[in-house]
Amino acid sequence: MFDMAGIAVEIGQALLSLALAPALVGFIRWLKARMQNRRGAPIWQPYAELRKLFRKDMVVSRQASWVFHLAPFVIFGSTIVVSLLVPVLVTPLPFNAVADLFAVVYLLLLGTAFLALAGLDTGSAFGGMGSSREMTIAAISEPAIALAILSLALAAGSTNLGEIAARTIARPSSALSPGHVMAFVALFIVMLAETGRLPVDNPATHLELTMIHEAMILEYSGPYLALVEWASWLKLFVFATLAANLFVPWGLATSLAPAALAVAFASTLVKLVVIAAGVAVLETRVAKLRLFRVPELLAVSFVLGLLAVASSFSVR
Amino acid sequence: MKAALLLTGLLAPWAISAALSALLRGSPRLAGRLTAAAGAMSLGAAAAIWIVVLGGDVLVAGPGDLFRADALSALVAGCIAAVSGLAMLPWAGIGKDQADRDRLRVFRIFGSLFTLAMLIAVTINNVALMWVAIEATTIVSAILIPLHRSKASVEASWKYILIGSVGIALAFAGTVLAYFDFVSLLGRRHDALNWTLLMDVAPTLHPDVLRLAFVFLLVGYGTKAGLAPMHTWLPDAHSEAPAPLSAMMSGVLLAVAQYAIIRWKAVVDAAGGPAFTNQVLMALGLLSIGIGALSLVRQQNYKRLLAYSSVEHSGLICLGLTFGPAGVFASLLHLLNHALAKSMSFLLAGRVLARYSSAEVDRVSGLVRTMPATGPLFAAGVLALMGLPPFGLFLSEFLLFRAGFASGHPVATSAAMLLAGVGFVGLAGHLARMLHGPAPDGVAAGEREWWMLAPLAVSLVAMIALGLLLPDTVARLLGRIAEAISI
Amino acid sequence: MQGVFSQVAVMGSSGMLLCALIVLWRRGVAAYITAFMWQSVVLGALTAAVGYFGNDPQLYVVAVLLFGIKAVAIPRLLRRVSQRFTAGRESAPYVNTATSLVVSGLLVLLAYAAARPLEAVADAPTRAGMPLAMGLLFISLFIIVSRKLAITQVIGFLMLENAIALLAVLATYGVPLIVELGVFLDALMGFIVMQIFLYDIHDTFSTTDVDVLKRLKH
Repeated sequence: MFDMAGIAVEIGQALLSLALAPALVGFIRWLKARMQNRRGAPIWQPYAELRKLFRKDMVVSRQASWVFHLAPFVIFGSTIVVSLLVPVLVTPLPFNAVADLFAVVYLLLLGTAFLALAGLDTGSAFGGMGSSREMTIAAISEPAIALAILSLALAAGSTNLGEIAARTIARPSSALSPGHVMAFVALFIVMLAETGRLPVDNPATHLELTMIHEAMILEYSGPYLALVEWASWLKLFVFATLAANLFVPWGLATSLAPAALAVAFASTLVKLVVIAAGVAVLETRVAKLRLFRVPELLAVSFVLGLLAVASSFSVR
Repeated sequence: MKAALLLTGLLAPWAISAALSALLRGSPRLAGRLTAAAGAMSLGAAAAIWIVVLGGDVLVAGPGDLFRADALSALVAGCIAAVSGLAMLPWAGIGKDQADRDRLRVFRIFGSLFTLAMLIAVTINNVALMWVAIEATTIVSAILIPLHRSKASVEASWKYILIGSVGIALAFAGTVLAYFDFVSLLGRRHDALNWTLLMDVAPTLHPDVLRLAFVFLLVGYGTKAGLAPMHTWLPDAHSEAPAPLSAMMSGVLLAVAQYAIIRWKAVVDAAGGPAFTNQVLMALGLLSIGIGALSLVRQQNYKRLLAYSSVEHSGLICLGLTFGPAGVFASLLHLLNHALAKSMSFLLAGRVLARYSSAEVDRVSGLVRTMPATGPLFAAGVLALMGLPPFGLFLSEFLLFRAGFASGHPVATSAAMLLAGVGFVGLAGHLARMLHGPAPDGVAAGEREWWMLAPLAVSLVAMIALGLLLPDTVARLLGRIAEAISI
Repeated sequence: MQGVFSQVAVMGSSGMLLCALIVLWRRGVAAYITAFMWQSVVLGALTAAVGYFGNDPQLYVVAVLLFGIKAVAIPRLLRRVSQRFTAGRESAPYVNTATSLVVSGLLVLLAYAAARPLEAVADAPTRAGMPLAMGLLFISLFIIVSRKLAITQVIGFLMLENAIALLAVLATYGVPLIVELGVFLDALMGFIVMQIFLYDIHDTFSTTDVDVLKRLKH
């Protein structure tokens, strides 16, 4: 596992994810703009934003503690670790032995927890409000995603990401089974909740009282803000890749041959574009839910996960 | 040939009565007489069927043995014909002015269809078509409940049709499950749903599946039979419906639902033994007796009083079914007696309601003085329902409890006796208040239309006869049924 | 071929179950009627599929009847009723939305447990959908019990009938035709009577919220 080639592959995958994540978000924004009859910013706009932010000075509140300074690195770090474990191009990954689905989910939750702490840290009212909302949503979406994962794991007999992908490749007909489809929808709903997309949270809002994710990062500026934003885009990228490559794993390379890698790159790109288009269409069609309605949406996700678990039990 | 003739004589008069009542819009008296004649003819056919069946024959008619009347069918069909014949006579409770004449016409049409559906349900061989007939009774009776439109009657009819339809749908689910078990063993046959075939192959069917089916069937048909906890529609529907309809519903519709339960119990017991069905029936039976008896104490409305009494007696009948052949005998005798007593009580309650214009127990007093014939007859009916001798219900309850002790269920039987005692006290208290004391102002005294009481007096005599000396014909018929369906 | 048949059966059953979940999730009566319509469409399609795979042409007749009555006629009547009664939203059901959804998930698990004896006995390719049919049955019962508007209760009852029809189609490839016709007739008559009562309730009480039907207590 720890040989040089393996480490090189993993680092390469992390860099690729970091490079592609802003493009994914840029694509979603561009597609939304086009659907709303605007020209929209070009797809590489997020890269420009990152470059701008890295150059700027930081303004840090006097009330901020070490949590405020630590949080961007924890968030960024945990998300990068997740990107090391998720199958983007190759399966099984060199680090596959530690690529457990529960580990992935809870690493992402670690980032969320620290972000919430950072929102509280400066003592601003909006930050606190955003943090409490975010933790509510995280608390309710956690059982939903756990069940969705459980149904996948039951079908594959293991929570290891590589195993799950391999099992689905081996049995193509299971991809269309209702349990699979329901788990996918459950995961998609949780993805919308965790990454702060509509209908749970509007990423483009300017009104502080409607913010959830944006409220927590209001106090950040300069490089810290760049890190936090990049981490949140990477989180969306990771979720989308999970959804794509666990449920529709065909195209993933099983070896490091350049031809296989090229095919894997193309197929992953296509799947990501499809998912991004789905998110963009949904965001254009659906209005933001009032906060007390969000638990209802997550309850739907929970029930779908429960049904997926029940159906995978009966299949065995 | 004889079978076809008798069965036609049982069923056709009601169909003709419905059609003629619809057509003869302008001559209500003629329609009324025709309906009464239809009732008499049907009753005669039922009696003839009874005699034939006693001799050991089973009447079979129709394509593919569609209609089949054995001992149990004969018993319940007799009850239906008798009670419906009584109830469809022109009664007080649906009055004399034009609006009431229209109501009377609607009542005759749908009441005839109601009776026809009930009779088909007990004489048809196919389980699923029996279900269709019972569902039809729900729909037809639901149309009739809000005959006198008011907030209470609309509420009652909504509850009735919703809960009744849900119950019936569950019964169909049970039927589908039983059919599924049959099909998985023997393939799809066009006569798969006949009672006779089901009873024959029952020992080879899977007990687990049939038990699951029985749960659905008991909940479903139990809803129609007024078993707790699915009984919540019963007090409302039976108290808000016009008195003759209440008589029919309380007296015989409950009996038809019990008929379905008894038939299915026989099939499921033949497959896996009676232990499971006995447990479930005992639980629901005791619950019904308890809820019925305890609710009797707090009632303010005498029609609801009679309705809760139906819940109690329905529970007693179900409980008796779990006590072996002697218990089944007692249950069936109880079914017969209850049909007579309850229908009589409701019809008389209708007369009381017409005179006093109130269904509250508090507003009714001095019955013996204001209605010197109806009062004592009503008292006799309620005393019969309380289980007092010399009426038939005393004998059937006695036999039931004895069977309970004999079959080794002392706890359940004692509990039932205790609860029945509570019901006794409840009914007695209310009855005493209604009978005695001064009559309220504005209530005319004296009896009108004495001749309407004559048929009720006949049913009273029948009840006493059944209580004192249990005629041999009845005993033999019941014995025959008990042998055929219990293990 | 059997694999495809099995998949189709399970997909159809899951689809019908999800339509019932819509009634527990959404608030507007119009959404409920649409959900029922789609559920009936899926049931009709599934019946036709079973007729095709199981070589039973009688089921085509049943499927056509299902489409005609349950997917076209009844939703149209329901929409007309719900438009007359302006209260088009189930504002405060007896059990709130999130709890209802969780309860329905548990009911499906209960259905899987209860249907074990059935799966042990069955050998048809459609047997995997039977627990889902029972789950739909339980969820429909729950809808009837936990909702306040009379029209939602009627929709719950119609879904209950769909559940039982689904169970019949999956377990035994449908019941004999004469029974099927009798059941349809009864269902239609029952629905018409319920509709009449909806008008009655509205006329008598000026609302179709069954919470006001409280005059008759004990």
